[in-house]
Amino acid sequence: MNYLVTGCSRGVGLEIVKVLLETGHCVYGVARSHSEEFKTLEHQYAGHLFFKSVDLSDAENVREEVFKEFVTNRIVLDGYVNNAATAYDDIVTNLNAEKLKAMYNVNVFTPMMITKYAIRNMLLHKTRGCIVHISSISAHTGYKGLAMYASSKGALEAFSKNTAREWGELGIRSNVVVPGFMETAMSSTLTQEQKDRIYKRTSLKRATDIRSVAYTVAFLLSEKAASITGQNIHVDNGTI
Amino acid sequence: MEEQVLSIINDIRKSKRLNVLDALKETDNLRTDLNLTSFDLAELTVRIEDEFGVDIFEEGIVNTIGEIYGRLAK
Repeated sequence: MNYLVTGCSRGVGLEIVKVLLETGHCVYGVARSHSEEFKTLEHQYAGHLFFKSVDLSDAENVREEVFKEFVTNRIVLDGYVNNAATAYDDIVTNLNAEKLKAMYNVNVFTPMMITKYAIRNMLLHKTRGCIVHISSISAHTGYKGLAMYASSKGALEAFSKNTAREWGELGIRSNVVVPGFMETAMSSTLTQEQKDRIYKRTSLKRATDIRSVAYTVAFLLSEKAASITGQNIHVDNGTI
Repeated sequence: MEEQVLSIINDIRKSKRLNVLDALKETDNLRTDLNLTSFDLAELTVRIEDEFGVDIFEEGIVNTIGEIYGRLAK
């Protein structure tokens, strides 16, 4: 199967790529930076892993950059994993419109445009494809400083639910994986005390395992999840 | 160009078990005359784009065969 994964160079995106490669799939990775870890995988899985550096803040260019120059119509796309995201953390009274728009471009507008062209590829090849968006537990629980970021993930969840309803008739599925706090670059600015406070709000009292998130994405993409669509799957250590 | 559009529309109609057409008229309405649904029009769009490199819906809704020819002739 051929999968498009955004934000593939590090963190959970890189882990998703690893799991998909380990299970014999072909991955088209898109990210801003071409990380050393990704390059190592490219050597290991030559012919199964491809990379293109794309500025995902430019929603209008993804058709050209991703679908004309990389995942063309000659490639039968079986799934799209929307993992790329940027965080804009601040309290609401400091909200800056430009920063908010920049975050929405990456987290919401570009993934919506990529979904459009991914579905078009699936229509052309009559593929019963699958879309998986990576959300965040912040959209469900609420944390100080994450209102803007969480709102972008809430938008994605609503988009996914409606995509599932709209395209289910043609066998195309859309789901969301909702990870809890993970030890990634995105949470690296938090102090240990802040992290501990967050982990105390989970049943398992620790950081969410990135590998568990990646396996859940791979499961949702697979035929094993053929009857799952329009869902938000929480992989969050039982956040309360 | 007209032959290719006819061929694509007939492929879609065949998959819906509708009769194959010998020719298209410019006045044919995609929905009411050719019985294409919004999903069929989405498939028509991607297949025309794949063949001609033109997204016929990019500048707004297209209702008739004549309008498709118009977008492709641009």
